[in-house]
Amino acid sequence: MHLTNDQLNEYLDKATHERAQIESHLDSCDECAARLSTLQNLFAELDSLPELELTRDLAARFTPRPSLPAQLPKFLTLTVSLQAAVALTAIIIAMPFIVQLIPVLEISSLSNVFIQLQTQWTTWLDMLSQVQFPTLPTFTFEISSIYLMSALVGVFMLWLVGNGLLLRNQIK
Amino acid sequence: MTYFFPATFSLPLLYYTLVMTTPTDRDLILRACRGDADSAEAFGELVTRYQTSVFNVCYRILHERGEAEDLAQEVFIRAYDRIHTFDIEREFGPWIRRVAANLCLNHLESQKVTTELDDERDADHAQLPEAAQEVRERSEQIRKALVSLPINYRLVIELRHYQELTYDEIAVELNIPLSDVKSHLFRARKVLAEKLHASD
Ligand SMILES: [Zn+2]
Repeated sequence: MHLTNDQLNEYLDKATHERAQIESHLDSCDECAARLSTLQNLFAELDSLPELELTRDLAARFTPRPSLPAQLPKFLTLTVSLQAAVALTAIIIAMPFIVQLIPVLEISSLSNVFIQLQTQWTTWLDMLSQVQFPTLPTFTFEISSIYLMSALVGVFMLWLVGNGLLLRNQIK
Repeated sequence: MTYFFPATFSLPLLYYTLVMTTPTDRDLILRACRGDADSAEAFGELVTRYQTSVFNVCYRILHERGEAEDLAQEVFIRAYDRIHTFDIEREFGPWIRRVAANLCLNHLESQKVTTELDDERDADHAQLPEAAQEVRERSEQIRKALVSLPINYRLVIELRHYQELTYDEIAVELNIPLSDVKSHLFRARKVLAEKLHASD
């Protein structure tokens, strides 16, 4: 007994419970195997049909603008501004110390520019310290690169932990 | 772009620019459901994502470009009107393609006239290399064979081969018995195979 047309169709549609029997018949019967391959060819031909492109944009009816603007939640805009402000302040404060290290590189023209910048920054910082917090105790220790590095590392760790906390609910 | 500078300081912002600014279908559907000014825009983005596949459903069934484009537009207009009834747990793509197939069926049944068939052979046809021309001609033969089928047969082929629905799903979708799904599908394949291999 050969396989029925229905059996072959259901076999290719993976909608049969008699897969094993069908396969063992196909192994031993060239005629049914040929019928199956004809059907498989048809499947392949149907699959090969390419998708065509539209000649007009169906979305135009719904969207006057071509793309969606990025929308940020309010809490994020706030934290981002805060983070940016803190980072900028950190850079401003760190600048004179960084500038002190740079002349060591002995690029005369550049270091001249940096020295000018440094003088400006230090005078500006002096002015600031005179105006603000006059009761603030003065540092008794020299600012060494060790302190600077540990401060930077500390700030970086804080930044990392802060971001981790913020992202905690976003990443599932 | 306005967030570029602060983005260098913020992982959450980077995350949002990379992930959240490409909203999921689900996000877009929820926004489209709200019924505010942003709704149409969110739905428009969904249309952008699915218009080609929806148009191709219509084109395979109708084989007439203008009509297929009109119907694809109609599919999205109707979907937008009843977007609030859409079950958010389902996938939008498969759903909208099934809607398209059904709309084409209704359209053909209401017409009951054979439309002038479209030839995708257009002006630039002659400029294609020989191999590409052969592929194109074969596609055209397949499309013509498809559209020569009775409407019911065409629909089961579309749903089984192009939308990959199971027999049971097709039965539900077209509201016909399972036995009809099988007989339509198997006969349709027989007819297609005869047509396509006769023209070899
Ligand atoms: Zn056999």
